[in-house]
Amino acid sequence: MRAQFGVESAPWTYEVTTTSVRMYARGIGSEDPIHYDVDFAKSQGFRSVVAPLGYLGTPVYLPGQNDPTFGFPRRGGGPRLDIPFKRLLDGGTETEYLDVICAGDVLVETSHLADLKLRDGAMGKMLFITNESVYTNKETGKVVAKQRLTSIHY
Amino acid sequence: MTQAANSVITDEMRAAIGVEGPSTVMEVEKTNCRMFARSVGHTDPIFYDEAAAKARGYRGIVAPPGFLGTPIFRPGGAGVVPGEMGGRNFSVPYKRILNGGTDYEYFPDPPDGDVICAGDTITARTKISGFEEATGSLGPMLITTRETAYTNQHGKVVAKMYGTLIQY
Amino acid sequence: MGQVYFEDLGEGDEIPQLKKNCSTQQLVLWAAGSGDFYQIHYDKDFAQATGLKGLIVHGALKNAFLGQLLHDWIGEKGQIRRFGCSYRGMDEPNQDILCRGVVKRKYSEGGKHFVELDVWTEKPDGKKTSPGTAVVTLPSKN
Repeated sequence: MRAQFGVESAPWTYEVTTTSVRMYARGIGSEDPIHYDVDFAKSQGFRSVVAPLGYLGTPVYLPGQNDPTFGFPRRGGGPRLDIPFKRLLDGGTETEYLDVICAGDVLVETSHLADLKLRDGAMGKMLFITNESVYTNKETGKVVAKQRLTSIHY
Repeated sequence: MTQAANSVITDEMRAAIGVEGPSTVMEVEKTNCRMFARSVGHTDPIFYDEAAAKARGYRGIVAPPGFLGTPIFRPGGAGVVPGEMGGRNFSVPYKRILNGGTDYEYFPDPPDGDVICAGDTITARTKISGFEEATGSLGPMLITTRETAYTNQHGKVVAKMYGTLIQY
Repeated sequence: MGQVYFEDLGEGDEIPQLKKNCSTQQLVLWAAGSGDFYQIHYDKDFAQATGLKGLIVHGALKNAFLGQLLHDWIGEKGQIRRFGCSYRGMDEPNQDILCRGVVKRKYSEGGKHFVELDVWTEKPDGKKTSPGTAVVTLPSKN
């Protein structure tokens, strides 16, 4: 497993649209017009409605190519891990922003394995897997965000 | 037109027939076309893959049958999809409400129509087409039919939705 | 499925059936896809508090199933002109919903070839829950 560290996955496209930004904002209960009102967002100097913190676009969904429950792309490259545990929990997310993400942005994402930890917990042995994803704006070529996602397998 | 003595149709209601209500702007985008298609279980790639849709001659990802865009959501505002349960409400002595059904009509042929694709902005306007009264297994009921016209950013009427509301 | 042509059909012909079976997860996906977040479709406690036995499938989702039934049948060269249904009977998740259609009438007009159909969803016991109609145009072999 440790040999899989840093092995880069194939890229996947993530799209940020006005409807998806609004849906995410609505989902977190935000009422800030910066996420809903295009004219307002532009008056504040943004290209369009601003993606709420935590929203890095929706991965392009193609039947058979994305996990039907979690939506993440099953794709070539990336780490190959044989995980001996069946249960899964979200261990947390850390996002680093290098630029503002707005509706209309098309991002290209790649991910790699960043950390592995095996711990003893109340529910038995738990494997913490951290993947780091890098999001690049397709048009500008600039990295706009990095995200570390930890999943707990037990 | 004669009317039963216990009719609930008022002059105000009759005057509303054919009058268009306010418009609602609906956005058709790649993400919501895919979400709708995915939730129904469609397998045709034209609802998901832009390259596949263009290879078949469409302007972009195609809106699946029954998908007419997402209304612009404003927090605290009405998020109701036009036509289904929307439009003007009148005070009638029936407490219960049922969605009687919905019909979609499409106008895909150019030059007056088009296929709805991602990137389109649709303006929806609803009018009441008529009121009908009937008595059935649910007792006396008022049947309201509504028609919603969907016009795209080029002024083309690309679809109409016909909704039936049953109050009893 | 190969392309179906106007000449291939006769009145009374049944089109290929589409079988659906909604998981509760699919009902949540539909809420996201349609924007209808009414809790009777995904919150069992809420549904029962309204007097229902349990969760029910959205009428509009069944209507969209009929849209898929038609879309998959007409092929790349066909077009859906009109479709819809009445939401009569209730359907539950984790139960088969069979989508069916039968040709009622076919005619040519203005250079186009129309087929009118009865379409509906039915339960495993054959009871029709969403009866409806549709009009499609198909290519001609000529």
